[in-house]
Amino acid sequence: MRDRASQQAALAELGRQALSGAEFNALLHDAAKVAARELEADQVAVLERTHDGEGMLARTGSGLPDGVVGGVLPVDAGRLGRDLGAASSISAEVGSRFGVIEAHSGEQDHFTAEDAEFLEGVAGVLGAAGERAGHEDLMRDSEAQFRELADTTPALMWMTDAEGDVTFVNEGWRRFTGGTETAGVTFASSAHPDDREATVRLWTEAMSRREEFRCEYRLRHAASGGYRWVLELGTPRYSGGEFVGYVGTATDIHERRTMEEALRASETIWRELADTAPAMMWTTDTDGAITFVNQGWLRFTGTTFQEEMGESWALGVHPEDAEPMLASWEEALKARREWEGEYRLKHNTGEYRWIHDRGVPRIVGDRFVGYVGTAIDIHERKTMEGRLLEVYEREHRIAETLQRSLLPERLPPIEGVALAARYLPGARGAAIGGDWYDVLERPDGRVALVVGDVAGHGLRAAASMGQLRNAFRAYGMVEASPAEVVARINRLVMSGVDQVMATVLYLVLDRETGEVAWSAAGHPPPLVIAPDGARFLEGGRSVPIGAADPAVFREATAILPPGSSLLLYTDGLVERRDEPLEERLNELAEAAAAAGDELGELCEHVIAKVLGPGDPRDDVAILAVKPLPVADTEISLTLPAEPGSLAQLRRRLARFLHATGATELEQYEITLTICEAAGNAIEHAYGPGDATYEVDVNFEGGELTAVVRDTGSWRDKRGEHRGRGLAIIKDLMDDVAVEREDGGTLVRMRRRVGEDRAA
Amino acid sequence: MTAPAEIVLDRRDGSVVARLSGEVDMSNATYVRDQLLASMPNEALALVLDITGTRYLDSAAIEVLFDVSRRLARRRQELRLVMPAESPLRRVIELTEVHTAAPVFGSLEEALS
Repeated sequence: MRDRASQQAALAELGRQALSGAEFNALLHDAAKVAARELEADQVAVLERTHDGEGMLARTGSGLPDGVVGGVLPVDAGRLGRDLGAASSISAEVGSRFGVIEAHSGEQDHFTAEDAEFLEGVAGVLGAAGERAGHEDLMRDSEAQFRELADTTPALMWMTDAEGDVTFVNEGWRRFTGGTETAGVTFASSAHPDDREATVRLWTEAMSRREEFRCEYRLRHAASGGYRWVLELGTPRYSGGEFVGYVGTATDIHERRTMEEALRASETIWRELADTAPAMMWTTDTDGAITFVNQGWLRFTGTTFQEEMGESWALGVHPEDAEPMLASWEEALKARREWEGEYRLKHNTGEYRWIHDRGVPRIVGDRFVGYVGTAIDIHERKTMEGRLLEVYEREHRIAETLQRSLLPERLPPIEGVALAARYLPGARGAAIGGDWYDVLERPDGRVALVVGDVAGHGLRAAASMGQLRNAFRAYGMVEASPAEVVARINRLVMSGVDQVMATVLYLVLDRETGEVAWSAAGHPPPLVIAPDGARFLEGGRSVPIGAADPAVFREATAILPPGSSLLLYTDGLVERRDEPLEERLNELAEAAAAAGDELGELCEHVIAKVLGPGDPRDDVAILAVKPLPVADTEISLTLPAEPGSLAQLRRRLARFLHATGATELEQYEITLTICEAAGNAIEHAYGPGDATYEVDVNFEGGELTAVVRDTGSWRDKRGEHRGRGLAIIKDLMDDVAVEREDGGTLVRMRRRVGEDRAA
Repeated sequence: MTAPAEIVLDRRDGSVVARLSGEVDMSNATYVRDQLLASMPNEALALVLDITGTRYLDSAAIEVLFDVSRRLARRRQELRLVMPAESPLRRVIELTEVHTAAPVFGSLEEALS
C-alpha cells in the first residue's frame, strides 16, 4: 500500500516547483521520476502529441529502456504499455491537447484508484505549467493560472503578494481549515495560538531576506474541530525578475509529530522509572549504540552516564567473553531479533561479575527505534552452579556405590547352574539408575532369577532398588508362582508411602527339567540361546510394578532345550531413541547366537555388539544362566572339614540322587548316611584349618557305592549320639566297611536303589 | 555357614507348640536345642515339637531330641513329637527309638489332647 500522505506532499512540491518558475523540461523530467517513485511503477512515460497529431513523441520518462525517449509512437492508447510487457497501467491526459503521462507495472492490478487520482494531479500540474510555458507572453496573470492549477490538487496551497499578505489559498486549504480564509489575511491566523508567535517570527525573517520559508506548526482542522500538525514550505516567486511574493504548500504531518511526541514523553517516563529500578537497564538507537543506561547500571560499573554512551560500554566486558558476546549481539541487531547473553562485566570493585543481559527491539507504531535491555547480576548463581555440579557428582558417586553394594558382588554358587552377570552404570552426567539383578535358590530346589529397573535416577532410585530386591528375595522364597510373587510385590509397593515404579522380569528355573516359568512386568522378554539359535520367550507380560492396583499379572512357562542358556537384561541394553526396539532386539538375538558358550563371554560379547564402546547412556544389568548337565553315574567331591559343608554336600547329593531315580525316602536315607559319615570325618579332622574330606559316590547297575575318606583317625564310639550315627549308617546301608589308612579313615558303604528294602 | 532352620512358636492350651522347618544337622543342632529350651516358661506343661515341615534331621538332631526331653523332664515338663505317618523321617525316628524319650503323634490335635 502506497502512502497517500507522501503522494500528496510530492504533488504539492511539484506544484510549488511549477509555480516558482521551474524550466518546463526539467519539470516534466522530475514529474516522471516523482510519479514512478510514488506509484512504485516500473516505468513512467510522458508522451507529447506531434504537431500533425499523427503520433506521440516520448518526451521523457523514468525506467524506460534505451531508445524509447525521443521516438515517436502511433496514437494508440496502451501501445507503449504492451510494448513494455506491462501487466497493468494507468494514464492521465496532460493539458487539453499536450499529451499523456502514463505509468506501467509488471504486476497485475498494481494501481489503485488513489494512484489514478494522484497521476491526474501530476498531469494537472504539468498541464497548467505546459500552458504557461507555451503562452508566457499571453498569460500575464500568473495568479489566475495558479489558481486554476492549485485548485485541481488535493494539497494545501497558498500564495502571497510582495508584502507577505495572503492573496490566495486553494480549495484544499479551505477544506482543511473550514474555508474562512480569503485573500488579504495572514495565514498565521489559522495557526494554533501557542504556535502563532513563533510561526509569524519565522515568516517575517524569511520574508525580509526573501529566503525559503520552512515551519512546522499546528493548523486549524475543520473536520476534527481541533488542530493538526503541518509542515509548511514557502518559496519566493518572481515574475520577469521581480519578486512578487511567496508560493507555499502545507503537508499534514500530524501522525508523525504526535508519534514523536508520545515517544519523547514515554521515553522520559521510562527513564525515570528505569532509574528507580534496582535492575540494570539500557537503551540503544537503531544502530545499536547506547543512548541510555540507568542508575542501576552505573552503580554496578561505577562509571558515568557519558562513559557508557555509544560503543564504549563494551570495554567493561571481560576479554574472554567480549568476542562471542558481541558477535551474538551484532547478529541479533542485524535481524532486529531479541538478544540475550551471559558474560562477565567489570564491577565497580574492579572484579568481573557474571551478568545476564537481555535486549528486545522497541517498536513504536510500526517503526523500529532501537533496543531496550535489562541485565541482572547472576554472579552468585553462576558460581553456585559450579558448586552444585560438584554436589551432583558426589551424589552420583554415592548412588553408584550404593547401587554396586546392593548388587551381589559375586553371584552365589548354585549347584547345577552356571551364572554370570554384568552391571554397567550409565554415562557420566546421566545420573545412576535403579537397575538390579539377583539369583536365589528356592526351597523347592528351583532357581529364581530376577532383573529389574526402577524408574528414575539417583539416590532415591538406588535405595528403592535395594528395597525391591529384598522384597523379591523374601516373596521368591515363599511363593512358587512368578505371577504371584510379582503381584505380592505390586501390592507391597502400592501400599507404601514412597511409590516407586519398576519393570521386572522374574523367572523360576527348574535345573533338572529345564522348565521355566516367568512373569514380565513391563519388562523386555528373556532371551533363550539354544544350540539351534536364539529366540525370545514371549508371553507372561503385564504392567510394570507400581503402575496399577489392582493389576493382573500373568505368567508363562516353557521348556529350555538341552544345552540352552538364558539371558535376562534391563532395557538400557536395547533401548535407543533413534532405533525401533524391534531392531535392537533382533541385534541382541543375533549377537547372543554368535557368542561363545561361556556365560561371561556371552555377556561381554552382547555388551560389545549391542551397546558398542564407551559408557552406555542408561545403566544396564545383564544376567545369564545355564542349567548344567546332571552327572548321574558318579560324583566326586572334596569339601572343607567343617559342619557348614554338610548343607552343601546335601545339595550336591540331592541332584545326583534325583537323577538316579531314587525315591524320596531313599534319597533322604542315602543322604543321611553319607552325611553321618561325613560328620564323623569332620569331627576327626585335626583342627579347623585347611583339613578336607572326600566323598565319592558311584551308581551302577542299580547299586550305589559311597566312599567317605578323611585324614583323621576313626573312633568307634564317642558319646551316645555318635554311636547313634553309626547305628544309622549300619542300619540304612546294605553294607558298611571302615578301613583305616595311613593318616586317615575310609568308610565304604553300599546300597541297592529302587528295591523294596525290608526294614 | 549353618544349615537353614526355623522355629515358629505358639501357645496352645498350656503347651508350647514349636514348628520346626528346614534342616537340622551338626552345624545348627546346639542352636535349635537352646531355642527350644528357652521357649518353655515354667508354667507350660509340654513342648509339642512339630516336625511335619522338617526336611532333614541327622543324628545330631536326634541327640537334641533326647537332650531336650531329659532337661524338660527335670522341670516336670514333657516333650511330645508330631510327625505324620508318611514322613520320610519316620524310619530314622523309629530306628533311633526317639519314642522312648518323647511320645510321637500323627497330628498336632492328637498331641494336644
